[in-house]
Amino acid sequence: MARQTNRLGSGGRIDRSRPLRFRFNGRDYGGYEGDTLASALLANGVRLVNRSFKLHRPRGIIGCGAEEPNAILQLGSGAGTLPNQRATQVSLYDGLEARSTRGWPSLRFDASSVNDLFGRVFSAGFYYKTFMFPQRWWDYYEAFIRRSAGLGVAPDRPDPDRYEHRNAHCDVLVVGAGPAGLMAALAAARSGARVILADQQREPGGSLVGSDLPIGGRPADEWIAAVVDELREFDDVRVLTHSIVFGYHDHNFVTIAQECGGDMRERLWRVRARQVVLAQGAFERPLAFCNNDRPGVMLASAVSAYIKRYAVCPGRRAVVFTNNDSAYQCALDLAHAGATVGALVDSRGSVSSELTDRVEAVGIPVLHGHIVTDVRGRLSVGGVRVARWNGDTDARADNSIDIRCDLLAVSGGWNPAVHLHSQAGGAIAWDERRHCFVPAESRQANRSAGSGNGRWSLADCLRDGRDAGVAAARSCGFDAAEPELPVVEERDETPLQPLWRVPAARDPDSCPKQFLDFQNDTCVADVRLAVREGYRNVEHVKRYTALGFGTDQGKLGNITGMAVLAETLGAPVASVGTTTFRPPFTPVSFGVCAGEGVGELYDPVRKTAIHEWHVSAGAAFENVGQWHRPWYFPRAGEDLNSAVARECLATRRSIGILDASTLGKIDVQGRDAVAFLERIYPHKVGRMAVGRCAYGLMLGEDGMVMDDGVMTRLGDRRYYLTTTTGGAARVLAWLESWLQTEWPDLEVYLTSLTDQLSTISVAGPNSRRLLEKLGCSIDLSREQFPFMSMRQADLAGLPVQLFRVSFSGELAFEINVDSAHALALWQTLMDAGREFEITPYGTETMHVLRAEKGFVIVGQDTDGSVTPIDLGLERMLAKDKDFLGKRSLARPDCVREGRKQLVGLLSADGRTVLREGAQLIEEPGAAHPVPMIGHVTSSYMSDCLGHPIALALVAGGRSRHGETIHASLGAGSIATVTIVPPVFYDPQNERQHD
Amino acid sequence: MTDLSQRRHGLETLVGAHGDREQLSATVTLEIRAAVRQLNLRGDPGKAGLRTAAEEALGQALPVQPNATTAGPHTICWLGPDEWLVLSATPDAANVATALEQALSKHGAAVNDVSGGQVLLHLAGSGVRDLLAKGCTLDFHPRAFAPGACAQSGLAKANVLIRLDEDGEAFDVVVRRSFADYLLRWLRHAA
Repeated sequence: MARQTNRLGSGGRIDRSRPLRFRFNGRDYGGYEGDTLASALLANGVRLVNRSFKLHRPRGIIGCGAEEPNAILQLGSGAGTLPNQRATQVSLYDGLEARSTRGWPSLRFDASSVNDLFGRVFSAGFYYKTFMFPQRWWDYYEAFIRRSAGLGVAPDRPDPDRYEHRNAHCDVLVVGAGPAGLMAALAAARSGARVILADQQREPGGSLVGSDLPIGGRPADEWIAAVVDELREFDDVRVLTHSIVFGYHDHNFVTIAQECGGDMRERLWRVRARQVVLAQGAFERPLAFCNNDRPGVMLASAVSAYIKRYAVCPGRRAVVFTNNDSAYQCALDLAHAGATVGALVDSRGSVSSELTDRVEAVGIPVLHGHIVTDVRGRLSVGGVRVARWNGDTDARADNSIDIRCDLLAVSGGWNPAVHLHSQAGGAIAWDERRHCFVPAESRQANRSAGSGNGRWSLADCLRDGRDAGVAAARSCGFDAAEPELPVVEERDETPLQPLWRVPAARDPDSCPKQFLDFQNDTCVADVRLAVREGYRNVEHVKRYTALGFGTDQGKLGNITGMAVLAETLGAPVASVGTTTFRPPFTPVSFGVCAGEGVGELYDPVRKTAIHEWHVSAGAAFENVGQWHRPWYFPRAGEDLNSAVARECLATRRSIGILDASTLGKIDVQGRDAVAFLERIYPHKVGRMAVGRCAYGLMLGEDGMVMDDGVMTRLGDRRYYLTTTTGGAARVLAWLESWLQTEWPDLEVYLTSLTDQLSTISVAGPNSRRLLEKLGCSIDLSREQFPFMSMRQADLAGLPVQLFRVSFSGELAFEINVDSAHALALWQTLMDAGREFEITPYGTETMHVLRAEKGFVIVGQDTDGSVTPIDLGLERMLAKDKDFLGKRSLARPDCVREGRKQLVGLLSADGRTVLREGAQLIEEPGAAHPVPMIGHVTSSYMSDCLGHPIALALVAGGRSRHGETIHASLGAGSIATVTIVPPVFYDPQNERQHD
Repeated sequence: MTDLSQRRHGLETLVGAHGDREQLSATVTLEIRAAVRQLNLRGDPGKAGLRTAAEEALGQALPVQPNATTAGPHTICWLGPDEWLVLSATPDAANVATALEQALSKHGAAVNDVSGGQVLLHLAGSGVRDLLAKGCTLDFHPRAFAPGACAQSGLAKANVLIRLDEDGEAFDVVVRRSFADYLLRWLRHAA
């Protein structure tokens, strides 16, 4: 195992008593608890971590957080593998395995790096220019692009990790636990507000973690610990670490992905906050000089963070290049860590002597008025070329100075992380003084604070955070006092010098590449080319050059790219603007989005009260909406067809029993129940006698069949409706919406009884005898209890409702029973029915039996474009009243000739079972396009009849009974069929009336 | 003859090993209260006589404040401006429906016994709020959800009625029977 050559002997927030082992690209390395994968790689001197996306240039770690564009690695293998992981945000754990996603045959020698030699070909718009012609080659191009693209591979097996969701509410959500966020949280918490403080780091403190800056007279680490300890004392304060706030949605709904550890990998916090304080800080920006992507070129703040947090000094001989004050601290940190700092190159001609003196005091040469123009070295930094500069961006650099180094720390200034503010709909504005975009007006209840608000000094951040916390708490109605601010050192500030594209020895279009977007290999020259080719709008330039399209979403280089665009256009940056910030802030895993909702918890499985019996009887189940319903009950050696044949014949010959509990059931009562239902149903509801049932069609306002069921009059002002299984919730909501919004004057109350009542259907010629055998309190004879009527009764000692309705065409009873007793009643019926060979059947047999009788299933034989007339049910449409959908039925299209109508189909050969959905045509061999005259809606083998049957919708079908047409069987095969009336079995209805 | 006292909540196979009381986690216990009678009542509370008649029949007033419950012989939950759920554990609970129906018949109200269609889960313990927060978007903080409050919402992917008891300690969750198996599986997983 390699030695951690870049690890400092002391310091950092790592736990040296807990060494960890990990593998990267097949080699073993060591690190410590508290490392990120990136800090551990740097500790081991690993420079080269990946190849770039398009040009396959060698790349190293640049940053230390969400902005990292290069160290995007694949973690683990097999089912648990994770693609697209930023090494800077992956906590190191023992046994971690990571690998680069590009580089073949090896990372050091990548064959595709020839792309880099032909870099001019791979310029802006490369994909558009190259892969468009000839169009018929697109399929080949696409395969090629897909092979070349991608930031890793998705696992091909189920994720073994656990995830969960968690809803939370608070008065004040503080995003970011740096100095501003800590002060905001403290101010809000002390007022009594419910506070959530979320931070993406392992520990709170933000930029202060590991810092020795004095705050309030003590080291920063101690100050942080004291604040966090106080926060944790409050019952209503929650401090979330390892938690990335990735989405700011409407109504202050904020989503946070928390890395948990243990068997719970990630938790999604769904937070509803009354007020939000955004204190997520700022991203340091790079500078665009030649070869600025070489491994070893890093952000100055990242270098400092690696030294302070992780005790890792990423280089031995460093150069610092800056256009602002902040990188001076990096130079000091490097020197303190024992590195030789060859020079601090500052583009500014003059800088406050206090700052310069401090750096020079530790022996670092400071070159004011100089720029780094180019980097030497290929697989890592070998040195830099430095030129004197007077501030003219059009000048040619003289490259007079050459400095040997293995690390170049760069600071081009800071970009406030306005992402969440912008996601929330807030405006952003260009700050002419600070040369960055800052949050402007908020659209939701949020405010920004700290460096995310363009405040650079520690004192300003603390004050800004406190003020935001106080204001947020007060907005929630809390009497918030202003906490005292800790005393910190104030320093003179020399303003940043705006510098984006650094002048090179040659013109910017032919000099070595100056990278803006490291993930997509977008360079200064690409933006300039896009402008020459006519692109002006920032959104267009983004899409043409792919600037900001990577998984880092341009956190590193986008603003620099916008500034280069502005310069090329000769327009102010403010007028160019930025592209849109959208969630997620950083990529989130599918696992955390799904949460617990996988496997058996993916969607609720609704079960009837009799479900257990079906399971123990070995039923095969099918999903009907969310319900699991028995599909058929196979006996040993039976398949679907043979089981269904047996179930059908048993029902027709003796008794079949069906669990129909999933039917929607609605109790309708009230003064105006009749008036209400007259408007809903097409038939005469008021004319029904108490105790009578009727088939009820429900039409949409368009006159099309929407649902159907049986409705029963239970009393003068009380009805009981059934709906289809799938339509239950929709129909109840539809009826409620008419009552609540259109006819509030009607006094009618609806109550769903779908779960309260279980429905057992007993069908077949012996069904009456079975009920009589069980002991029934009423006379079940045809005369006393006729077809389409309902009786209250006691059956086997249980109070039930009996309905003489039939969906099979046989003598049948539907039994409604309190669900608490349904399983007992079912068992009783099965026991008593043994002498009749009672046969349980499922949905498939139910479908065959009803199709034999020509009963439609709404949603199978209808598709939302079928009227009652199309189904041959015009007798149900009352002429002398109004009802929903009636007026639509008079539309010309509803009364025209040639509408598709329900018919039966018989195969001419008496054997062929048609395919459901098959298209119907007049004659085979007709010229294309062959006119389609209808389609098959239901098709089964009828063992009762001894031949296949089908239902179909055929244009003008009712007047074509006896005619021959043809049905496609697929693969060019055609069946000849005869149109017949849709009732195949007992057309005189003698059996169901028995 | 079927024994009418043998009511089934349909979760017997799931809770079989534990009886009707189960320790979901170190901090949450679950009890299935099958004996509690559940009556759904719909009617216009603005109507003269309806509230009085209901109060006489039930021995307590109907709550008219949104998401409130009243306690007395029964627990009555407000479900909507014209809808209530009466939870009754009294010895004569089985007769309450009939009495209520008779009392309200002339006021155009609808009374339905839904005891067989809904399952009452009683969740107690210090971890209940955290458990509910995993699947419900409501705010159960004492400032937002007071003792005796009730609300209809989603828990995981099932619609439920959630009620906090008068002591502010334990929650009743009422779920439709067909979703109960799913919800119990979710509760076990989430706890």
